[in-house]
Formats: sequence, structure tokens, C-alpha cells
Amino acid sequence: MDRQIRPIYESLDTGSNKSAILACNKVLKKQPNNLLVKALKSLALVRSQKVEEALLLCDEVLASKPVDDPTLTAMMHVLRGLGRHMDMVTMYEDAYKQQPGNEELGTQTFFANVRIGNWKAAQQIATKMHKQFQDDHYLYWSVMSALLQAHDPTTPEALRTVLLKLAHRLISSSATPSYYNADRFHLHLTILRQLGLYDEAYEMVESESGQIVCSSNLSCDELRREIWKLKGLTKEAGEAAEKRILEAKDRNWLEFLAVLDATFADLTSEASDVEAAKVAVSERIVKAREFFGKVVEVDGMKDRSGHLALLELEKRSRQHGLATDSSALHSLLESYFQSFGGKSCCYEDLKPYIEFEGDDLAKWTAVLEKQTASFTSVPDLWRYINAQKLLRYNLSPSALTPEAESQRAAKHADVYLDGLTLGRDLPSYDLQPADDLAILSAQAFVNCWKQTGDESYLYNAAALLEYAGFRSKKSYQIRLHLIRIYRLLGAPALALEHYRSINVKQVQNDTLSHFILSRASTFSLSSVGDLTYTSECLESSRIYLSNSEETAEFIVRAFSGEKYSQLPDFIEFEDRLDNSLQRDLVKMEHVRMRIAHEPINSELVDMELIELKFIFDRVHHDNRDFDILANYQPRGVTSFNQQTEFLEKTPSLGWLWVFLKIYIKAFQLASDLDDSVEDKLLIGDRPKPSYDPETKLPLNERLATRKPEEIAELTPDEASFYDYACALSEWLTPYHDYTRPPPSAVLAEAAKITEQKTGQTLKGLEIASDAASNGHSKKDEEPPVVIDPPALITKYFDDMTQRFKQAQEGKLFPHELLHIVTLTQEAFLLFVIETTRFKTSSVIKVNKLGALAQHIKEIRSKASAVLAEISAALVSYSEKEGTAERRKEVVEACAPITSKTGVRSFHCRDCTTSLTAHAQLDHDFILQVAKRITDARKQITEHVGKGLVRVCKTHA
Amino acid sequence: MSVLRPFRATDMFKFNHINLDLWTETYAINFYLGYFSRWPDMCAVQETPQGRIMGYVIGKAEGSGAERHGHVTALSVAPEYRRLGLSRKFMSWLEQVSDENQRGLFVDLYVRCVNTAAITMYEGFGYSVYRRVKEYYSNLGLGLNPRDEEDGFDMRKPLSRDPMRRSVRANGRDITVSAHEVP
Repeated sequence: MDRQIRPIYESLDTGSNKSAILACNKVLKKQPNNLLVKALKSLALVRSQKVEEALLLCDEVLASKPVDDPTLTAMMHVLRGLGRHMDMVTMYEDAYKQQPGNEELGTQTFFANVRIGNWKAAQQIATKMHKQFQDDHYLYWSVMSALLQAHDPTTPEALRTVLLKLAHRLISSSATPSYYNADRFHLHLTILRQLGLYDEAYEMVESESGQIVCSSNLSCDELRREIWKLKGLTKEAGEAAEKRILEAKDRNWLEFLAVLDATFADLTSEASDVEAAKVAVSERIVKAREFFGKVVEVDGMKDRSGHLALLELEKRSRQHGLATDSSALHSLLESYFQSFGGKSCCYEDLKPYIEFEGDDLAKWTAVLEKQTASFTSVPDLWRYINAQKLLRYNLSPSALTPEAESQRAAKHADVYLDGLTLGRDLPSYDLQPADDLAILSAQAFVNCWKQTGDESYLYNAAALLEYAGFRSKKSYQIRLHLIRIYRLLGAPALALEHYRSINVKQVQNDTLSHFILSRASTFSLSSVGDLTYTSECLESSRIYLSNSEETAEFIVRAFSGEKYSQLPDFIEFEDRLDNSLQRDLVKMEHVRMRIAHEPINSELVDMELIELKFIFDRVHHDNRDFDILANYQPRGVTSFNQQTEFLEKTPSLGWLWVFLKIYIKAFQLASDLDDSVEDKLLIGDRPKPSYDPETKLPLNERLATRKPEEIAELTPDEASFYDYACALSEWLTPYHDYTRPPPSAVLAEAAKITEQKTGQTLKGLEIASDAASNGHSKKDEEPPVVIDPPALITKYFDDMTQRFKQAQEGKLFPHELLHIVTLTQEAFLLFVIETTRFKTSSVIKVNKLGALAQHIKEIRSKASAVLAEISAALVSYSEKEGTAERRKEVVEACAPITSKTGVRSFHCRDCTTSLTAHAQLDHDFILQVAKRITDARKQITEHVGKGLVRVCKTHA
Repeated sequence: MSVLRPFRATDMFKFNHINLDLWTETYAINFYLGYFSRWPDMCAVQETPQGRIMGYVIGKAEGSGAERHGHVTALSVAPEYRRLGLSRKFMSWLEQVSDENQRGLFVDLYVRCVNTAAITMYEGFGYSVYRRVKEYYSNLGLGLNPRDEEDGFDMRKPLSRDPMRRSVRANGRDITVSAHEVP
């Protein structure tokens, strides 16, 4: 037997699924009922994407209720591949029932429930196993499962306390004390804290063994601090912290915070006599100042803690009206700046303390302005950069006129070029210490653009940043800035190039892909067959597949290794990635790109309909990282991130909801699937039902709801697209509902296809005898009266023509131009999706909808005419972009940053970049940047233009 | 000056500014989850008072008997928080955990032979080269001497259970092994 099975495993291990299937067939010929071989064949089929055949075998094996380990293991992989986790639970439960003394089966049944987050069942199994096998860790499994069930958002409020009490009772019954193991100890403390049993928890952490655990385990120590706080021991915590700071030389900022909190404790807890409390706190402030002063004396410049604690003390004293010396904050800031101005974190350190006005501001400004640009060392340069950032933070609106800002930008650029001399000898992969001056300059330029709408400021920013990126090749910050600017300039190819250079990987796809994929359909050329952005969407989405395939396994591992402290975070991580907002924003963009490229048939429509409906039931998490983009704009101005948003609107949940509604509605009309059919054809598990009460409303009601807060996330053009989409679907709904074939016919068709593929009938289907009429069955009721289409539909295309003309006259930005064009195309495609059913002449004839067909024809030709017109105009626009004059304009716009004399000529170590062989920010360098920008713009406008015609032709 | 706290799974959403550095690799999620599910007490981050992660360390305990030791798998500090003593704090913390919790005799780590800044730093912390491991790393594409770019140094520091300093040697730089000879 083994001799026959081994080759199957070997083939599976090496990924040769085909030979695995052959090997299985060979065995099955002689032993047609060999369960293990059937399971292995099913696995090979799943892995070769032959889902229908795999399903058949999988169901056969499940029906015979296997108990042997190899078959169960093989089936585990099959079911995981098919997304049938519920069946996995049933399979193990059945096996465990047959062999209740089998500890391994019990464990696997527990794990199967853990994988799908079925904590209730997991808890019951663990309890049962503890009774039966008497091992402590089963008890802790059941405790942890009860705790996780209490945390689960689907658990009713009232049940939570009951579960926590159960967990408490169970853990107290343990034969061995929890402090034997740091993670068991952590679990025990967590339960006590959640039940509000702070005294008991305090006793535990302060016991001798508790102290030992906490001293070498950060997670337990974190809980210890929390428990002290919850018990109201702020002052005691402060005293303990002072000791640690002095004796153990601990410089953990948490210790300093504890001292600070203790200092003001009398005021924050409800004091009966406020005046007396103030006096007491004032005394404590003096003491704390002395204490931190001592730390500063000891540490000098070795550690910032004491210095920052003094600043924080002064700030809090001011907040409570207890500051005695008005100049104290200033002298602290000044001395901090003197000591740590040479470190790059100085700006971030001081930002919370410098919101000054009037005289205070003038004094502080004077300090910073003393820092001149005559630096001779890197710390000097940093002190200058920090001074510039700190000064900029407090600039008043009157100091931010475009003239003042562009002067500032040019000055920063100048000093940046000087600063490069300090990094002359660094290896090419190191960051230049002067980089932030280029970024400061670029941000000032962008602020000018924001105020005036004059694109030339963006050219300056782009050219300077390109140069800075050339000198500091590994600076992601410079590249992120360029990505934002190139998208605004309508040069997406360049943005993508920089994004790829950053080398975003793995989970970063979730947090960073928004830089390039937000509203990416605006820049997609899928209409002309260029799938760059389409595949970028798929690439960036692979992380979600790894998450759903792998993360649950680590939850299982954390259980088996008893690392309970990790479980809540693992579960949160899995959920946040699985229900990531960015995931579905990208999905939506992918759909928008797909329809411009692929034929619109039932395969596309049905699949997307099901997927989008699943998404519509999700509770999303926004994991996008916007903080990574540095912000040096003054505090009265919106952040650099907001300034460079695409049309000032970042798509978020509201945006997603609107587009889901639009597309679900459209696909629903176009599709023949109704819920009953969908259920029968679905292979994997349905997603867990959402706990959001809104998802319980009927789907059609949800689709029709228009919410102002959602619409607020749309650009004006997207808002009118939404109106158009609603009018269109409302008009066409009755005709779709009347002509859609009955569910029985749809199922019969599906069964036929399955039979063709597998030679077997679709299981569980009983097809009514009247289903064979191919959807053209006689109807009892009369067809709905055809009414005229709403004026809004044709008006939309007229309006967009107008908008396009505006954009062309130069009143709008290049990215807005593309936005208008691609939305108009999308409106046409939406129309195609919703009218494809009526293209079949027999459908029109049988249902007597001739009048409707006429309307559809008119709208289609109207829309096509509009697209053709825009296309022609866009192509001629693109020709202008490619000319020498256009390049010259860009170069001339960059005069503020072009070095005139060429004095600064550096010798560059390797000049092999694609951009330039020049090492100077001179005319030639800028000409190359100009060429790249105009070429990129030419390319995108030309192809989007041509795509319009192609889309019309495809769907004529 | 910073808050030292455990490295959690959800920190993966917030470590971009550290990982986009040339010397820092972003691994598949199962790499991080693997460490958190086995050695959660050997993974930590330091963050600013405002809650921004400044750097992190990922470690593990391996070997038995005289080979029992703590291993630094990854240590990275964002460029803007360098030269503030963060690495020193991470290392002394990991040494303490390796010593007290894991009963290790030494701590070891690997570093690219070209990463001179890091090598000097670790030497300052009391580490010394134990051996050179051939082709331990992938090429960075920097166009440097490929031997130095791909080779790594195995550096070690003895802990309290090794008072005779048996786990280190003076001539480590001269001893070369191939990548498959090390765990």
C-alpha cells in the first residue's frame, strides 16, 4: 500500500498535480473505495483549479465520515483550499465522536473551531478535554476561548460578563498557579482587569513571583502599570518610578510619565478643596523640577528623557495655571534646541510645546533665526534644518503669500544645494543629510500651487525633488512626494515608476498602495489593452490571500504554544487585513478597469455581483498609512497630505459605499442570479454574518439609500456620475425584472454546464420541468409600459462635454481632465452593462419591448458621439504635450531653482541613473525632467483618448 | 528616551517608515507571526511619546547546552531616530531576557560585511566577530564588492553564564564558513 501512496505524496509535495492525479487514478482503478486516495486526488484537483471535480470527490469522502489521520489531514487541505471551514469543523467533530478517547482528534476539532473563530464550541471542547485528559493546558484553552468569545463583536453585551465570570472561575480552579508561565499569568491578569477585580490583580502583580514575571516580560509589565493606574495608585506609581529612574537608571519614558502624572494627581482626581490641591501641586511641581533637573545633570546630552520631562512639566503647569515663571518654557526650549538641535528628531520633540502667539512667538522666532545657513558639519546642518522646520510651523497666514512662499522655497533649494557638499563623500546608497531642505522647498512650492493654482510651482517641486532623489537614491520620502506631485500633474507613469522603486512588499501593500491605486482607474489604460494598473491591483491584493490562508494557522500555533498574550492581536490583525478598506477600494478600482477591457458577459457580471455583495456586508478597517508622508506645512495650513490629495478628496468608506451601490445595482440588473440560485452555486463558506445592524435591512433598500456623508466623499463629477447611475438603473429595473429568466431555468443552465465539464450532475438540484424553455417562457402578466428615459441620462453626457471643454481651456488641472474623461467612459460602460440583456432581439420580441430598444439605441449613439468628440480633442491635446514648446514652458517655469552659474558642480560617484548623466541641477537636468513629464502626459492622454473610441466600437 | 513595549501583530500596519530603509527587509506576515507565536517575550518596539514607532527588535532563543543562546534576527531603527541610543537599549534588553528568561550563554547576530556602521556599533556594545559566513545574504544591487555585499559576520557577546568567554574568539574575522553550516 505504502508503495502506491508515496508517489502521490511526492507529486503533491513537488507541485506536480497532474502526475498526482494520474497516480491516484491508478490506485482507484483497483481500489475504487480507497478514501485516502480519493482525498488526495481531490486535493490535487483543487490545486489544479478543477473545482467542480474536486467538489464531487470531497463530498464523497466527507459522506463516509473518515477517522484516520492521513485522510483527515488531506481533507483539511482540500477544505481549506475550497474555503469550506465549516465542513472542516463537522468532519473533525464526527471523527472525534467516533473515537472520543483520541486526544489528537480532540485537539484537531478544537483547532478547526479556532480557525473559524467559533469560540463557543472551542470552549466546550476544551472543557471536555480537560475533564477527560486532565492536562492543565486544556483548562487554559477553555479560559482563553471564553475570553475571546466575550470579546467577539457578535456576542451580546449581557453574555459578556457571564463569560468573563466563567473564565475567572475556570482559571481559579487550576491546579497550578498561573505565574508558572508568563502567558498564563497575563491571561489571568487580563480577566481580573476586565472584571474590575483590581485588588486581586494588584496582589498578584505585587507578589514575589508576580514581580519576577513582570520584570522580564514586557506584556505583563504593561498590564502591571495599567492595574496600578486603575487602582488609583498614581502617586505610588510616581514614587516607584522615581526610584527606578534614579537607582536602576531606567530611561523608559513611561517612568517619566508616571512621575508627571503623580505630580498633578491631586488636580485630576476629584479634589474637594481645589485651592488646597493647587498649593499641594505647586509644591510637587517644584520637587519634580528638581528631580528632572538632577536627571538632566547626570545624563547631559546622553539621553533626552530628563530634558523632555522638564518641558512636559512646564506645559502641564501652564495648562493648570500653575506656571510661576513665564520665561521658563522659553529657556527650556532654547536649551533643548541647543542640546538636541543637531538630531533629526528635534522638530518632532518640540512640536507639542511651541504653539506660541504674540511676544512669546517673537522671542522664540528670534532664537531660531540666530541659526544661520553657514554650517560646517552635519549636526550644524541639522540644527539649521530643525530651525527652519520650527519657524515654518509657526508662520502666520500673512507670511504665507505666494511671493513669500516661493522666495522661501527658492532659499531652501539654494541651501539644500550647499548642504550637499557635506554629504559629498557618502556612498551612493546613503541618505544625504540635506534631503529635508529639498522637501521643505517642495512643500513651500506646493503651498504656492494650492493658493494660486499655478502649475509652474509643481514643476519646480518636481524638478528639485527629482534632483534630490538622484542624489539620495534610497530616500522613500522624496519618492512619495514625487508620486503625489506626478499624479496631480497627470503623469501617472512617472508616479508608478517611483512607487516601484520604493519596493513595497507584503503587508505594506495594504498600508501603502493607496499612494498609487487610489482612484487608479483614472490612470488606467485597460481600454487599450495596457494592463499595468490592472495587474498592479492584483499584485497588491495578494497579501489578503496569504492572510486568509496563513494567519489562522498562527492563531492555532499560539494556542498550541500557549502564547495567550498574542491571541487578541493575531485575531485583530487577521480581521483588520481581511476587512481592510484599502482591499476593497482596490477591488472597486479593479472592477472599474476590468469593464473597460473585458467582454461584459454573465461570467464577469455574476462573479463580480457575488463578490461586491460580500464586500457590502463587511465592517471595514482603514489601515492606510498617511502619516508616513512628512508634513512641514505651517500649523494654520492643511497638511501636505491633504494638499496633494487627488481633487481634495481621499476615497474612504463613504466613497466605497457609493460605488458598491452603483455597481451592485448595475450587476444585479444585468445578472440572472437571484439569491436562491446564488446559494446553490456558491462553493466556499459564506462570510460570517456582519454584526452591523444596517446589513440586516433588505438589500434593495440599502442600495437605494443615499447618504449625504457618503456623497461628501465624492468629487463633484463623481457625484453627478452617481446621480446618472441611479436614474439609469431606476428607469431600467422594471424591464429587467420582467425579462429575467426564472431561477429554475438559470439553475438548469448551470447544471448543464457542470455536466459538460465533469460528466456528473450538479448535486442537490431538483430542476422543475418547466425550466427547459431557455428563459423565454410565457408570462402571465403584461410587459411593463415603456416610459421615456429620464432627461438626466442624456443630460449627463452633455454636461460632461461641457466639463471637458472647461478642462481643455486650461481652467482645470491635468488630473481633473483625466477624471472627467474616464468618468464619462465609465458612464457609457455602465449603460452597456445595464442594456446588454436587451441587445438580443428575441428578448425584445418575446417581451414586446420594442419601444425600449429604440430608446436604448438613441442613448447609445448619443453617448458614443460624445465619447468620439472627447476622444478627438484629447488626442490633439496629447500632441501638444509632446512638443518642444511645451517642454520649454516647463523649463522656463523652473527658473527659481535652476542654478545660473553652474558653480556647484559635484563629482558624482555613479551617474548611471535613467534620468541623467548630469550631476548638477542645471538647465539640462531640468530639460530632462520636463521631457519626462510632458512625454508621460502625452502618452496617457493619447491612449485614454484612443481607448474611448475603442470602447465605443466594442460595444456598438 | 522612548517607550519600550512588546512588538505586536498590529504594529505591522505602522512600521513602514522603518522598513523602507535599504538595510531592512519586509518579510511575509508568517515570518513575524512565527516569532510572535514562539518568542513574544523577545520582540519589542520603542516608540515616541506621541506613539510613533522608532524601531524594533525581533529575537529568538535557540540551541541547547553550551550552545544555548539568544539570537537577534532583526534590529532596525528609522533613519530619523538614529544616534539616540535606541539600539543600545534594545540590545541590553534582549541580553537581559536571553540571560534571565532563556538562560542563554551568549547573544549572537548576523550583519552584512559591508554594513560598517552597524559593525562598529555592535563592537561598541561588546560584540565581536565569531566567524564570517559566505553568501549569507542576497545581493543588494549596490555594485559593491559582491563578496562583502553577500557575506555576513556572525557576531557574539557572552552573557553571565559564560564568565570564561568561551563563546567568543579573537580571530573570528579569519574564520570563514559557508551559509549551510550555520543554523
